[in-house]
Formats: sequence, C-alpha cells, structure tokens
Amino acid sequence: MNLRLTLTIVVSKIIIKACRIARRGGTTLPGRIARFLCPDILNQIAKNFKTIMVTGTNGKTTTTRIIGKILDENGIGYITNKSGANLVGGIITTFIDAVDIHGKCKVSTALIEIDEAAFKVMSNYLSPDILVVTNFFRDQLDRYGELYTTLKGVKEGIVRSDKTHLILNADDSLCASLGRSTDRKTIYFGFALDAYKGVEESINSDAMFCLYCKQKYEYSNHVYGHLGGFRCTSCGYSRPETDVTCTAVEELTSSSSVITYSAGQESYRAKINLPGLYNIYNALAAIACGTLLGFPPDNTVKALGSFECGFGRMEAIDTQGKTIKLILVKNPTGFNQVLNYLLTEDKTMQLAFIINDRYADGTDISWLWDVDFEKLQGIQDKLENIYTSGLRGEDMAVRLKYAGIYSDRISIVKEYKKLVEQGLSRTPIGHSFYILPTYTAMLDIRKLLKDMFSLKDFWK
Amino acid sequence: MYELNICHLYPDLLNLYGDRGNIIAIKKRCEWRGISANVFNLTLGDTFEPETYDIVFLGGGQDYEQEIIQDDVLNQKGPEIKNAIKNDKVFLCICGGYQLLGNYYKTWDGKEIEFLGALNLWTIGGKKRMIGNIVFECDFLKSPDSDGLVVGFENHSGRTYLGPEVTPLGKVVKGYGNNGEDKHEGAIYKNVYCSYSHGSLLPKNPALTDHLITLALKQKYKDFVSLQKLDDSLEERARTSMISKTVTSG
Repeated sequence: MNLRLTLTIVVSKIIIKACRIARRGGTTLPGRIARFLCPDILNQIAKNFKTIMVTGTNGKTTTTRIIGKILDENGIGYITNKSGANLVGGIITTFIDAVDIHGKCKVSTALIEIDEAAFKVMSNYLSPDILVVTNFFRDQLDRYGELYTTLKGVKEGIVRSDKTHLILNADDSLCASLGRSTDRKTIYFGFALDAYKGVEESINSDAMFCLYCKQKYEYSNHVYGHLGGFRCTSCGYSRPETDVTCTAVEELTSSSSVITYSAGQESYRAKINLPGLYNIYNALAAIACGTLLGFPPDNTVKALGSFECGFGRMEAIDTQGKTIKLILVKNPTGFNQVLNYLLTEDKTMQLAFIINDRYADGTDISWLWDVDFEKLQGIQDKLENIYTSGLRGEDMAVRLKYAGIYSDRISIVKEYKKLVEQGLSRTPIGHSFYILPTYTAMLDIRKLLKDMFSLKDFWK
Repeated sequence: MYELNICHLYPDLLNLYGDRGNIIAIKKRCEWRGISANVFNLTLGDTFEPETYDIVFLGGGQDYEQEIIQDDVLNQKGPEIKNAIKNDKVFLCICGGYQLLGNYYKTWDGKEIEFLGALNLWTIGGKKRMIGNIVFECDFLKSPDSDGLVVGFENHSGRTYLGPEVTPLGKVVKGYGNNGEDKHEGAIYKNVYCSYSHGSLLPKNPALTDHLITLALKQKYKDFVSLQKLDDSLEERARTSMISKTVTSG
C-alpha cells in the first residue's frame, strides 16, 4: 500500500466534505492541497482510467455533457467534472472524489472538461486517450495573452500526449492545424459546403490570414465567425476532409435543431435538443467521439435528442407560469450566438446582462465592444426592459447605449434579488425573462435562484 | 451641416480588445449632435489618401497580425501617414498602433524592428506584461465640468519612451502607463493622440472623445466653435465607478 497516496486521498476527501457542508462548492481547493501533499497524485490515480478530455475556447461544457449522455446511452459508467471546475486543481478533486482510499474506482472511464490554457500543464501528468478540441475563438485575452499563444500551448500538450487520439474541428483553421504535422490519429468534424448558408461575415474574424504563410484565406462557405471552408491559395493549407460531417441543417429553432450528418459511409438524421448553430458543432464533436469509441449510431442519435443542458450554458426555470432562462456569456463569438438566439424569440421579453470582471471572467471587459449588440435594434419593440448588473453593469449600460438601444429602457440594477424580482414581475405569463451572466456572475445568480426556486446543487 | 470622415486603418487585422468601440463612440457622439460621421475601412493594399479623412484611427493587434501589416504600413501607406501627421491631421493610435508610429521596437533579446518613425518615440520589449486597469490625468481635459481623469485598461509588454518633441497624454494616477517607470501614459504630438489604454477608451471617457471631435471639426470648418452638450449620465457613472474602484484597489 502506498501510504502517501492514501493519506493524500483521505485528507483531500475530508476537505471536499467540509467544503460541501460549508456550501462553498469545494471544486478546486481540495485538488490544490492534494497536489501539494503528493505532486504525483494525478498520475497515480488517473492511470487506471480511460480518459476523454474536451478543450477549446467555446462549447467545452456542452460538448462534455453531450459525450456524457452518449456514454449513458451505451451503459458506460464514468466520472466527470460536472461543475465547470476545469483547471488542474478542479480535475484532481474530481478524481479524488471518485476513488476509494486506495485510489481504486468502480468505473474506468473519465470524461474531463479542461481549460484550454490548463491543458499544457495537465499534459505533464496525464495524457488523455481521446482529446476533443472544439474551436479557438478570442477569449479572456488578458489572462492568456493571445489566441496564438493558447493554440501553441495546446499543441505542446499534444506533443507530450503520445497515445492520444485527436478529434478536431475541420472548419476552424486554428483548431484543424493541431492535426497537421503530427502522427496522432485524428478525426475531423465540420459542415459540408452547402449544409448551411451563414448570413454574417464579421469583420472581427479571429483568423482571416493563413497561420503558416499569412496570406488571406479564401472561403468556399462561411458558417459563423471564422468557421467554414477555408483555403490558403499561397501555401495550400486548407480545411481537411471530414470524417463526421453535417450535410444539412433542416431546422433551426429557439429550442432545437434537426440535422443530417454522415459518419463513415452512413448518413443519419438527428434532432439536437439544443438551440443555436454553435451547438451543432458541439454535437458533431460528441458524435465523432461516439464514432471513435465504436458505439452504435442509434444510441448517439437518441442521446442528442434527449440531451438537457446544465449549469447555466442554458438553463430554464419555470415559475408562476413564466420562464427564467439563464445563458452563460463569456466571449464575443459565444455572445453573438446567444444574441442570434434571442432574435428567434417571438414574444416580448425582459432581458438582463450581468457582467463581472473577476479573474475567471477575464479582468478586461473591452471584449464587450466586439459583440454585435447593434443587432438588438431589430427587436427593440420586443425588449421591454433591459437591466444591466454585476461589477461592470455600468460599462454594459454604456455599451448598449452606443449600440443604439433606447437609454430609457436600460436600467442599472446592482442588487441581484431586486433584479430577479423586478424582471420576473414585469414578465407576462407565458413569456420569458432572459438572464445573461458572465462566469462568476453565473455562480452568484444561480446560488440566489437556488434559494428562491430550489434548484438542485450544481456540484451534484 | 457638419460632416466628419473617419478612417479606420486595418480594421480586419488591428482590432484587438474591442478597439472598434473607439470608432463607435466617435460616430455616435457625432450623430447625436446631428453631425454626420462616415467610417472608411482601409486595409492591406488600399491606398491611403489623407485629405479624404478628418480622423484616422489605428488600433492594436497580436504580434502575428502586426507582422502581416508591417510591410504595408511602412512602405505603402507610411509616407502619406507621415505627411498627414505633419499637416495636423487628427490621429488616435492605441497600443500596437501607438508603438508603430515610433522609431523602432527592440525585442527583449535585442532584435530591433524598424517602425514608421512618424513620432520620436521608441519601445523596448519586456518579459513582464503590464496588465490592469489604469487611471491617468490629462491636463488638457480639465475644465469646470471635467476632472481630467481618464480610465481604461492596459495590456502590453513593450515599454515606450518619448523623445523631447513628444509630450505624454497624461500622468499616471494608478497603473503602469508607457513604461511603468516615469509615470507617463500615452503621447501627444501635433494632433496625434496615443495611448496604451485599449478597447473601450473613448466610450467611457466622453471628454476625450469630444476633444478629438472638436479638434477635427476645427481643422475642417473655420466657423466651428464648440460642441453642444450631451446627456452623459451613463458614461459618467461608468467612468467614475471604475476610477474609484481602480484608485482604491491594492
């Protein structure tokens, strides 16, 4: 028996318990202490698991959850870091929580969401069997420096992970580059040329120029952001052939989509129980994972149709015949997609933005100026009241004013309880109150909603 | 009716950290006063004809993107940019765009990259990034209605030093500024205004925005006297709350 390992596990488990009793989440601290007591802890515990990791700037949590649902459908037990604690400390906590004091666990699959900047560090301790990379969009630049630095970090992590299978987004020139010049087995997912006609071509595209030779890419099709059929006419770098392909978007509503996709020789039709184009990409990544694991396609289709979101990526709370919808916002591309989703709402609504600038949100909030709030002008008649809140609620109000939203509809309400009560009371029966918080604001507002409407604990 | 033409240089490449917020702020504050404002986007290969424009904006980019524009800005647009500056054209340059107007950028391992040389200033790369909220004091913005304080966010590893002809934009109250040493932030030379405060510098600092608009209108229209006042209560709330938060933080 390894005494140090056992001792570390026991101490960490006690801290996990204590944190939960104190109702303080307890998702990161125990793992940090464990690593202090036994630096090699992760290696020792995780070596018995088959590990699937999901990283990228957008859609990590949803993709992880869809893969989890696919595992469920196939009767595979697994451990996962459900609460979005996706830095190294949080991941160690997840493993310690799952094993007994000897480091053993009943299940042998670990499904781990990992922060794109933490992956490089993580790769020193643990090499995943499968690595899913969703995409690279600008995100919290003040923390990570630059998008290209983040990309380089993930690449270095892949170099260290010698047994890893890669699942990559073919439509993202940055993400797809990870499959270049590596001998890791790689599966690509993406949209077929005529699957979807993207309407907007944002000037603030994150990757307009070839990563290798700096020529401007030509696109055969645009889906959104910089995603699409890119090709460099100078050096020839282009969107790789896909193994899992969305061949048609048949339906796209405010709650779900219907797509046809091909995987291998076969074609399938699936309802994805999530709104938004970005979630089709998340679903494709998960389908690719199911394909790689050799699961029957029927189980995957079933999982996609019955999936429910969690932890605030999009959560609905029904109360008094009205619905509170919580949607996490964290970077321009994700935020724009959420706004596109709001444009599909056909009733009048109350709308709240809660913007914080703590470390986990990104301390620099200038990215709000890269979000196209101007498009809300098109639904001004449906936006009865707009509330801004959070540590940077004032900045958000200014952003909306300069986006051409009528100032008299904007109010700054700093106190969350008052915000929820006011928004809800002004929402007519059968209508929705949308709350769009950044990450740490999500934690706070969710805690409040939990007390007001008895939501279940997020770490369970 | 007054009209201003705003030139946004390399908006597809130098657009880091919400730089377009500055363009939006200038445009909106003109329009709210009945001054029409047209924005022209100029990128690689486009010819820069300075007489067409009244305000020129140059933002910051990632290293990768700044390398892409290097040749175009130095050899294609460079001579006209220098001419325009000499002829008192109004410029706003942020972060990477600010550095680009200087003489050179010396990387921390000693490699010297030649820049435009339009302003006598230079930048030395550092290993440490200077990141955080910044408050600085601009004497030229002080008036009975304005305390002259400007608040923004800086994120740079380059340390910039000014030659004798160039004056700082402001005095650092909190934060790093040009180099973290001499308490200077940004630069002014003729009608060129430079700052490390990126992204949403202008929206939250309407006094500075109006200063630039006023300069441009005075250049263009001999009869122009002053701008009419706007209701800036939201902007003021955002500005003052961030100033007090920043000044009182650790």
